[in-house]
Order: sequence, then structure tokens, then C-alpha cells
Amino acid sequence: MLEAKNIHFCINNKPIVDQVSIHLKPGEMTVLLGPNGAGKSTLFRLLSGELLCKQGMVRYNGLPISGLKPKELAHLRAVMPQHSTMTFPFQVIEVVMLGLMLSKKKYPSNTVEEVMKATHTWELKNQLYGNLSGGEKQRVQLARVLCQIWEIKSFPRYLLLDEPTSSMDIAQQHHILEIIGQLKHRNIGILAILHDLNLAANYADNAVLLKNGTVIKQGPIREVMTAENLQRNFDYPIHVETDGPAAPIYVSSLAPNKKSSYTTNFKFA
Amino acid sequence: MIQNLVYSKMQHQNLVLSILGLGMVMLAVFSLSIGAFSIPFSNAISILLQQLGIVSGSYTVQETNVLLQIRFPRVLLAMLVGGGLGISGAALQGLFRNPLVEPGLIGVSSGGALFAVIFIVFGASFPWITGLFGSFSLPLFAFVGGLINVLLVYKMANYGGKTDISLLILAGVALTALSSALIGLAIFYADEAAIRNFTFWSLGDVGGANWNKVKIAFLLILAPSCWIMLQYRNLNALALGENEAFHMGVNVQKVKYIVLFMSALVVGVGVSMTGTIGFVGLIVPHLIRLSFGADHRLVLSGAFLLGACLLTGADLLARTLVMPAEMPIGIITAIIGSPFFIWLIINVKKIRT
Repeated sequence: MLEAKNIHFCINNKPIVDQVSIHLKPGEMTVLLGPNGAGKSTLFRLLSGELLCKQGMVRYNGLPISGLKPKELAHLRAVMPQHSTMTFPFQVIEVVMLGLMLSKKKYPSNTVEEVMKATHTWELKNQLYGNLSGGEKQRVQLARVLCQIWEIKSFPRYLLLDEPTSSMDIAQQHHILEIIGQLKHRNIGILAILHDLNLAANYADNAVLLKNGTVIKQGPIREVMTAENLQRNFDYPIHVETDGPAAPIYVSSLAPNKKSSYTTNFKFA
Repeated sequence: MIQNLVYSKMQHQNLVLSILGLGMVMLAVFSLSIGAFSIPFSNAISILLQQLGIVSGSYTVQETNVLLQIRFPRVLLAMLVGGGLGISGAALQGLFRNPLVEPGLIGVSSGGALFAVIFIVFGASFPWITGLFGSFSLPLFAFVGGLINVLLVYKMANYGGKTDISLLILAGVALTALSSALIGLAIFYADEAAIRNFTFWSLGDVGGANWNKVKIAFLLILAPSCWIMLQYRNLNALALGENEAFHMGVNVQKVKYIVLFMSALVVGVGVSMTGTIGFVGLIVPHLIRLSFGADHRLVLSGAFLLGACLLTGADLLARTLVMPAEMPIGIITAIIGSPFFIWLIINVKKIRT
């Protein structure tokens, strides 16, 4: 289990993440939702080990993160940050194979090919990374990250994704989230920051609502993603509809000046 | 499929490196036979083989002396210094994730030169230094100077885990200006003997080569260069960014220190032996990247070999163009390098992608 207990992080004495406790179980996907500036990315970086918190504790499978070397941490989790730039003219396949840099084998197993075919990047393999479109770059980065944890291992591992599908078209978004969801069967716990509430509602098992650095609600997706909770989280009228516990969830919102037939009791401040 | 792909890539890289290596050796042999006193090819090879215990062909004693005492150490020194400049340029560009970085531009060379001058001028007052390090004193002093500057530049240009390239270059310019001012100041306080030593050093270029220098260069340039070469995987990961490299298991801080220390050592030692030679560290990694790809496995080793070729070639030109006089080698590299740098500035957008 990936566990954060009472973690706290300040910048210039202003708390960005304030007494947050969350846990991530292998085999489950959790989304982190919240308005801009809620502290999502900072929390994400605290969990990935990029930042170390002054108070509280992050543990991977019971091991405190401060005691893990970068290499040991890389065996336990893979991270996809929001933006990655490449300075030099690397080919797509070279970028993806960086994900395997910890493996000792001289020639990679079929991992690279499997992952690249799954993420629809195999046909891009000989292109220069810098010449790709935004969505293609994102898929290549995802392929690199997936390579790091693709091989099945006996211990639980984690995948942290910061807006993994933000530049993709709608079809790619669904396709990629489908693949990410399948990783749950490999004893992997997934945490994703998503801005699209519909994607979040229909792919994740759990949700964490973050506002002003604190968790205002967390738990199973259908308990957390209610109209009331989301409105409180985003300060905006949001409508949530579903036909039953197994049916898809529809999350919608309208421009403020548009009349809506939905009965929301939201008042603009 | 993927195995074939990786295998053919490795084959391609090995082929490129072999060709560069072969070119370097051929250029070196060529360089041995040409000069104010010309030694026929066959004789040059015979003399070298004789050193390995294989007796063949005929040659004069004078040829042997010129070749073994003057030309051979000179060519070896040019190769080591050029290779060192090439690889440290490649490694620093990789570390700072910027194709404009060069040991001369970010103040490593000027720091090395400053400390070399300080040692030449004031070293006599501290005989214990020479007592302790012997002929290693000057190179080690230059290393410390290069290291101080590179660490200062790095600290100034870095905040929040990112390197600001305009700050980096500004800091490099400022430190270079300060270093040259301090060199002037040191000379102002120097006595007659020290000034003579300094003049000798500053004009020294590769012409001052002897076996003692070559031995030191072998130890203090080749060994750190090999250590830098071993970082190729880490530098590949760093090309994505420091955070990404950390996510993939790279101990970023450790790699940074290895590259900064080893580059300062390689460049400092080079500067202490030949004076500052610009542009080699800038051009060479680019030529490799543009022609053969960005994988650091190839770029680092290739930059060493091509740097060695370039400086050997430049030295050959330096001592043959105005025979029997010699041109300072720095002039040759600057004449080749400056237009290339301008071209680079104009095309930087294309190269960055």
C-alpha cells in the first residue's frame, strides 16, 4: 500500500498541502480532483518522492520514502509528470526505452514492443520525438512510464499520473485510460490527476477531493462524486446523473449565463 | 523485432566509433610524419614498431629523436586534450540540457587559466605545494579553478531544480570577465621570472609537450573521461529532465557531481598544459549528434574521438601553415569554431527539436 499520513508542505510559510492523509491500494485506481491551486501537483510530487515533506510520512509498502534510494523507488513506482521536454534529437524508440534503464538485460524483452503497440506509438518509433504533436508526445511519455512497471512482479507497485491524457483526443483518452485500468490486474495501484470529471467518474474506483491543500472528501467514486461534493469542491454548478449503481455516471456543467433545466440549488458567490 | 532493432542500432554505433577511432589513428600517424622536419611515412611506422620490439625498415637517429622526443608526445597531448574537451563539452551539454553550453562559455576554462596563472606567479612562494604534488601541482591547481567556476555558475543558474540558460550564460560571461581581470592583476604583481614563465605558458600550446606532460594527461584526462563515458545511460535519462530522471531511478545529484567534477578536471588539466582552446567542446558534440543521433553512448565516446581528431588536425595546421614558425593552435580552432557557433545560433530552434 502507498500511504501518506498527515503530510504537510509549506512554501513561504503558506501551507500548500495541509495535513493530508490518503492511501492507495494495489489493484485500485484513485483520481485526485480539485480546482487549480488546490495543491494537487504538490501532493503528487510529495507522493512520488520528488519533494520531501517536513511533517508526516509517506510509505511505500510500509517503507518510509526517505529511506529509499532513487533506484529502489523506481522499482516500486513509475511517474508521469505533466510536461516533459526533450532537448536533443532523440528518436521515439530511444525515449521509450529509457523506461527500461534499470533492467539489467542487454536486449529488452518484448515489453517495449507490447507497450508501444498498446499505446499506438509503435508506428512512430523511428521519428524524432521533437517533431511529434502534443498528443503523440504524451502517448510516447506514457509508453516510457509503462515500460518501467510493465513486467509482472510479486510485490505491489504504483503508477502516478499527472493529467496523462490532457492533450489527447476523446478516442485516445478512452483508449489510454482503458489500458491504464488494465494495469490494476498486475497488482498495481494507480493515482491519476484528471480534469475531465466524466473520465474520472467512469474509470476510477476511488476519488479524493482536494481544496486549499486539504482533503474535503475521499472514498469510493459513487459516494464522493455527487453534485453536492463537486459543487463545494469547484465552487461551480455541476450536475451528476446516473441510472443505477452499475450504470455510467454523467457529469455536466453549463456556462453561467445559460438557463439550465437542471434543478441545482447553487448560488454564485 | 525489437531485439533486431536494438542490435542494428548498436552495430551502427560501433561502426561509427570504429571509423572515428581509425580516422584518429591515421591522422596521428600522418601528423607524425609531417612537419618542419619531414619523416617519411614508412620510417615513422618503423620507428613506432621498433619501440614495440619489431625491427623493420631503416631510419636515421635524427628521425628517431624528432619523432619520439618532440612529435609523438605532441600528437598524444593534442589527442588527449582535444578528446577531453570534446567529451566534457558533450557531458556538460547533456547535464545542462542545452546545446549552447561549452567549457569555455560557462567559465570552466577561464577558472582553470586563472588558477594556473596564480600558481605560475605565486607558486614559488609556497614550495610545500610543489613538494607535495610535484609536477601535478599546476594541473591540479587549474582543476580547482575550473571546479570553483563551474560550481558557482551552476549555483547561480539553478533554482527550483531547473537551470535557467540565460542566467547560466550571463554567469559564465561574468566569471570569465572576472577571471581575466584577476589574471591581469596577478601578472601585475608578478616578478620577472614569473612573467617569463607565464608568457611561456600562455604561448605554450601543444608545442610544449613532453613525456612528463603526456603521462599526467593520460592519468588526469583519460581516466576521468572514461568515468564520464560510464554515465551515458544517466545522461540519456537527464535529457528528459531532472525530475523524470529521478523517477526512473537516477541519483541525479550524484551524476551532476560526477560530470561537473570530472569535466572541471579534464578541462583544467588541458588548460594547464596547452592554454585555453575554445570551441572544440562546442562543435564536436554537435557534429556527432547531427550526423549520428543523440544517444549519449555514442555522443560521449564519439565526442572524445572526434575532439582528438580535430585538435590533432588543428595542431598539424598550426605547425605547417607558416613553417618553420608556428601559429597558436587556439587561433585555428577559433577560426573553425566561430563561424560554426554563429551558424548554431541561427539554427538553434531547429536543433532543439
